[in-house]
Amino acid sequence: MSPTAKDTTMHYSGLVLGAIFIPVLGAFCLPLAAKVSKRLRNILSFIFIASSFILCLELIPLVLSGQTVSISKQFALGLNFSLLADSLAVFMACVSSLISAIIALYSFGYISHYENQNEYYCMVTLFLGAMIGLIFSANLILLYIFWEITAITSWRLIGFFRDKPYVLKADKAFLVTVFGSLLMLIGFLNIYQQTGSFDLPVIKESLKFSAVSNLTVALILAGIFSKSATLPFQTWLPDAGVAPSPVTALLHAAVLVKIGVYVFARIFIVNITPDVLWHTIVPLIAGLSAIVSAGAALIETDLKRIIAYSTISQIGFIFFGLALGNEVALLGALLFILMHGLAKAGLFLCAGIVEQNAKVKDITKLGGLISTMPITAISFLFCSFSIMGIPPFGGFFSKYLVFSGALAEGRLWIILIYLVCAFMTIIYLFRVFNLVFLGKANIPAREASPMMVKSVATLAILSLVAGILIYYPYQFAQKASWQMLEVIR
Amino acid sequence: MMVQALLLILIIPLISGVIMFFIPKKERRAQEGLLIIASLANFILAVSLFPQNFTYRLPWLDSGIELSFRLYNFSSFMLLSTAFFGFLIALYSVIFMRGRNFLNQFYGYFLLCIFFSNAVFLSDNLLVLFFFWEGLLLSLFGMIAVGNKEAFKTATKAFIIIGVTDLCMMLGIALTGHLSGTMTLSKINLPLNNPLASITFILLMIGAISKGGAMPFHSWIPDAATDAPLPFMSFVPGAMEKLLGIYFLTRISLDLFQLNAQSGLSTLLMSIGGITIILAVMMALIQKDYKRLLSYHAISQVGYMILGVGTALPAGIVGGLFHMINNALYKSGLFLTAGSVEKQAGTTDLGKLGGLGRVMPVTFGCFLITALAISGVWPFNGFFSKELVYDAAIERGMIFYLAAVVGSFFTAASFLKLGHAAFLGKLSSQNEKTKEAAGAMLIPMIVIAAACVIFGLFNQLPLKYLIQPILGDRLEGHNFSGFPVNITLVVITFVVLFLALANHLFGAKIKGSGLAALDHIRYAPALSKIYDLAEKRLFDPYHWGLGLVNIISKLSLGIDRGINWLSDGLSVRLAYGLSSGIRKAHTGNYSVYLSWSIAGMLIIFVILIIL
Repeated sequence: MSPTAKDTTMHYSGLVLGAIFIPVLGAFCLPLAAKVSKRLRNILSFIFIASSFILCLELIPLVLSGQTVSISKQFALGLNFSLLADSLAVFMACVSSLISAIIALYSFGYISHYENQNEYYCMVTLFLGAMIGLIFSANLILLYIFWEITAITSWRLIGFFRDKPYVLKADKAFLVTVFGSLLMLIGFLNIYQQTGSFDLPVIKESLKFSAVSNLTVALILAGIFSKSATLPFQTWLPDAGVAPSPVTALLHAAVLVKIGVYVFARIFIVNITPDVLWHTIVPLIAGLSAIVSAGAALIETDLKRIIAYSTISQIGFIFFGLALGNEVALLGALLFILMHGLAKAGLFLCAGIVEQNAKVKDITKLGGLISTMPITAISFLFCSFSIMGIPPFGGFFSKYLVFSGALAEGRLWIILIYLVCAFMTIIYLFRVFNLVFLGKANIPAREASPMMVKSVATLAILSLVAGILIYYPYQFAQKASWQMLEVIR
Repeated sequence: MMVQALLLILIIPLISGVIMFFIPKKERRAQEGLLIIASLANFILAVSLFPQNFTYRLPWLDSGIELSFRLYNFSSFMLLSTAFFGFLIALYSVIFMRGRNFLNQFYGYFLLCIFFSNAVFLSDNLLVLFFFWEGLLLSLFGMIAVGNKEAFKTATKAFIIIGVTDLCMMLGIALTGHLSGTMTLSKINLPLNNPLASITFILLMIGAISKGGAMPFHSWIPDAATDAPLPFMSFVPGAMEKLLGIYFLTRISLDLFQLNAQSGLSTLLMSIGGITIILAVMMALIQKDYKRLLSYHAISQVGYMILGVGTALPAGIVGGLFHMINNALYKSGLFLTAGSVEKQAGTTDLGKLGGLGRVMPVTFGCFLITALAISGVWPFNGFFSKELVYDAAIERGMIFYLAAVVGSFFTAASFLKLGHAAFLGKLSSQNEKTKEAAGAMLIPMIVIAAACVIFGLFNQLPLKYLIQPILGDRLEGHNFSGFPVNITLVVITFVVLFLALANHLFGAKIKGSGLAALDHIRYAPALSKIYDLAEKRLFDPYHWGLGLVNIISKLSLGIDRGINWLSDGLSVRLAYGLSSGIRKAHTGNYSVYLSWSIAGMLIIFVILIIL
């Protein structure tokens, strides 16, 4: 290896390590920084998250050229420290850190009048670091460790307000997801038994000619579904709506719930080929989950619970796309992660503004807010359009590609479930919009602080821009899907 | 040069529409100026592009999605028509909308509407077409929403209905791509010989007829008539949506799929057409508001077009397309007369109007011409297109012809009622000071009324040069211009129209007023109950749909709560139950603990021995 080549490898490894450990280690400096000034702490928190985003961005040219970065350090019992940055990982990391950075900006305004801010910033930053770590993990145990770190941080963040009912909801979220992840751990151990390694590339090699048992697949899926709040583990997500809004946006809409989706893609598409049976079971479970939660979203009256149900419903679409496994559907699912993340984070942040200024979350008691908070209202509408899948918003392309991929597989009956879901999406989002922003103004509420409004508007505009400039995310996601399916072009 | 013109016709409405949103409210002149200039430029460009043929491609995304635009006789005809109505109605809006709020938004959406529809007509890629097609939904939503305070509800209703049908269309488009392997419109030509192709056709058709406003996707239109600004009604449901819907319907049945007269899909289309004609016109009969009455006709008339295209016979398709352009003319003209009445008399409630013919002679004249045209009276344009549709319908089945003719009877009857109630009779006291509308509002009406006459008297003009070339080989050498060939049908038409007049005179005589002239139908023994239910909106498919969704939702919430109980209720209770059971064993008594331990040891021994 020539020195320059070695240098570049070092450089890229440094990027990956930096993207993970700047926020992970930085998180613990934040309480110290707060001793100096609160402002410094806030800005540092943003810088840590944003630098993670920038480092991930720098990886894009490399992965687009078809190369990958891998770091490996061997330890006993297969507990290796091995990382891998391929297109899929970099795509996911960029999306997560971008959305997290915007949410961090929003937090400056939102969280400023509550207690325990040190803990908040520490946990948010640590969460993002763990998320990025999970994304780049190429070892199942490493992945599991990061997975549980996100569980712990989200437990603290959901219970941010210390009232008893809130803490109980946080406990529930923790218990359900950890229950799932323990099952998943058993699944990982099964794989270890079979292949003698936790490293994904090794597992892939040794499973080329043998299959994993359905039990193993089911165990791992239980973990994935519990984290991504899919039937039958979905109920913790709406309950977690008691958290502060930036937290719900960060954890439960844009980033945390995508962990399950990502791990599904990482394990079951890239590395292990499960039995054909799962190509039917996963879409069915996801479809059921999508329709049940869409229905619940139509009846619920709590603003954040509705949006949470909507998340569950949209996650179903992502699983659908991934489980179909063909190129178009995969591409659609990846774009879905991006578009849904942007739009849903926007919706939650809008809900946060409404909640904070109107002091009410019950949509039947709200109304007419468009006259007093026009930017929030329009942003909400934009994000809703994206989620409904209306062009020129970004959500259209992802939804279309998932459907188109499903048609290529000839799954007309399953498509029907999702079509009904897409109908209901339009209806429940409009119901929310009409009840909250239109009609008679019951509660006087003014627009939130400029920083909050700006971050909401940024997400709304990004949803639109992502649709108009679909070319760029499309190219990236396409590369990722080719790499995942090992299509040589 | 042509490429520039093609790009300009897209860019000018887009850019000027976007700029419009940023013009401050106070700069009314600037807004009006921009609207007029942009729509005029659009019209001039459409004229300059008119008779040409070419394709322009821009690569966009992989997997066959490219921004490709194709100009040929059909699309240039549609561009021209949209631009024509766009300009006239823009001119009209400038006066009509004065003094209202959100002008910049309304005009902005108006121009965006023109942009999106231009793009739809030019697209040669299905997905690109759909992209712009759905864009229209946004501008439609915006235009309704800036109406009165209740308008948002109607806008939502329209959005949900069209959004849902557009999703069906999206699925249809994906299926088309899957079946044919390409997304390029001009390369697709699929036979309708398997169930999947038929499903695809139906899905695309749902999108097309819902845009056209046919039943059962119609119910937002009458609501919009009350809530949305009038130029919207005249432009969008009156003209543009019919053009779009029928354009796409014709494309799918002529080009994308080989729809023939033997297929069940053709019968399905004709049935939808026939039912739409009859039911909507029956509702139009009983309306007591100028705009609402017209809006039901906007639904009913699209039935003729769907019936015509659905026959899959040359006469029917030509008739349907001719009817499309004719309807766009007289329907937008009629809405414009409603607008001048609204602006000048302050109301469109027929009960409060009357005798306006004397004070608003020009408006009355335009109304007269357009109303005669929609009723299908010779020599106006509606007569010729309806005769073509009749001709094709009777060849496919007596029942379809009957639906069309009965529809004509009621159409004529309801316009006799409308004209009588609004323009004839005694001038009510509150309207004594009403004056004729301003010139800029009259010109568009006069131009449109004149076009109705010209398209009737010189019907070879539109038929030979605009419509018949679209069919190409499908025309089989026919020429449909001139006076209808089938004299029997013409005679029947005249008889029907005469009966409608007689019916009106009879009704007006017994009730003593023009408005009540159709009450003997409204309160006829069998119909009166049905009408009562219809007025309670029991027949609104939108409400049925929402009801169904509601049931699904309740069921879903039940499942969700049930699963929630598993985690929140059952598991907690199990844990409590177990621990409280074990707690009872902890008595604090040493001998009890000892006996537990010995029992445990014994069990282990037993297990070891068995193993």
